[in-house]
Amino acid sequence: MTTYKLIKNIFAEITTVERNISGIICSIPFDLANTDYQTFKKEVLAGAELQDADGNVMTQEQADKFIASLP
Amino acid sequence: MPPVTIDGTSGITTPMYGGAITANAVTPSVNMKSRIINGAMVIDQRNAGASVTADTGNPYTVDRWVSISSQNSKYTIQQNAGSVTPPVGFSNYLGITSSSAYTVGAAEQFLVRQQIEGYNIADLNWGTANAKTVTLSFWVRSSLTGTFGGGLYNSNGTRSYPFSYTISSANTWEQKSVTIAGDTSGTWQTTNSTGVSVGFGLGVGSTYSGTAGAWAGTYYSSATGAVSVVGTNGATFYITGVQLEVGSTATSFDYRPYGTELALCQRYYQNSYNFGNSTSSTANENVVTTTAWSDGNAPWQGMFVVNMRSAPTVTLRAKGSTTTGQITSSGTARSASADYISNKSVGYIGVTSGTANGYSQYMFELSSEL
Repeated sequence: MTTYKLIKNIFAEITTVERNISGIICSIPFDLANTDYQTFKKEVLAGAELQDADGNVMTQEQADKFIASLP
Repeated sequence: MPPVTIDGTSGITTPMYGGAITANAVTPSVNMKSRIINGAMVIDQRNAGASVTADTGNPYTVDRWVSISSQNSKYTIQQNAGSVTPPVGFSNYLGITSSSAYTVGAAEQFLVRQQIEGYNIADLNWGTANAKTVTLSFWVRSSLTGTFGGGLYNSNGTRSYPFSYTISSANTWEQKSVTIAGDTSGTWQTTNSTGVSVGFGLGVGSTYSGTAGAWAGTYYSSATGAVSVVGTNGATFYITGVQLEVGSTATSFDYRPYGTELALCQRYYQNSYNFGNSTSSTANENVVTTTAWSDGNAPWQGMFVVNMRSAPTVTLRAKGSTTTGQITSSGTARSASADYISNKSVGYIGVTSGTANGYSQYMFELSSEL
């Protein structure tokens, strides 16, 4: 199972997302050429869990809106 | 004074101090003659020669070669699997071993492929009237005989060229070549996304199998009727010396210096693990150490060893651990994530409850695969 969590950096910006696939965790940058980033957007739009930076699970509507705001 | 001469026998002869010096008559070195990276299966940064079980997560095996599977655990894949003698002139190969006798479904596919970056095929002019002919050559050995298949295709699955080749003798290395007239249609990316993919089928269903030897306006990853390696328990399929070059003839393999081949691979993947250690290694020599800031976060250790294709996905592990998403902060494993990631470096590592001004230790992987 794949889940995603937004990461807030020391300047309170969100420029990466943490992916967790069955306990394997990595940081994905918001880079259009990064294929993991491309997959992140597709999977969240398809219903994968996205948590905000505080760990709260976003509703699908919130998640869709967030994805729409990304490059 | 004698003239400078160039001929095909002596090479270049030039006057020198009243005498002459003659350069070796060799084939000139051509950079990137082969558009395939790690075609000799030499570099294996992730696994260091260990076996990988193919699954639907599509893991990478030796560098640049990805295993595509519609089902889990139908084969294993490993550098030099089975420890047979490689073809003359090669030291390594990529070996696939079937784990069961699986009947491939119509919309399933099992294959090993390399996605070539657009920058490295831009000169082929595919998708235009000036499309260049290319030749794919490789050495292959299988416990099975018959007609095998593979394919070349673009990134959005709208153009593909299934090809077939015959393995005549079981468990014998054979060299194959396929010449492909460049595609004058379709969209072929020419920057830092996938330009052309080259795949070798291990069992591909009818949905993704097409007529060999012709361009098609859809995605086919293999040829109709090709042998299914995953269909026979214990079947082996070994491959090396994969080369894709401009022209209608297969020429000698484009050997590159090891350091050059490694750097080419590192554009897509690099890590902190010591040479010969896989990413499951917890040895101390894999670790980098920095001094934490007063807020407990950790600086990155430096610039990447080569610029990457894109800002990479970063995987962190604490010293002596295989658990991901952590680094060691003054001796304690803490949750951590990379931030301000570019194709040249990472800005810093955010550490949850990191120790101020202490030491930070971690191992890392960077991936910007296509």
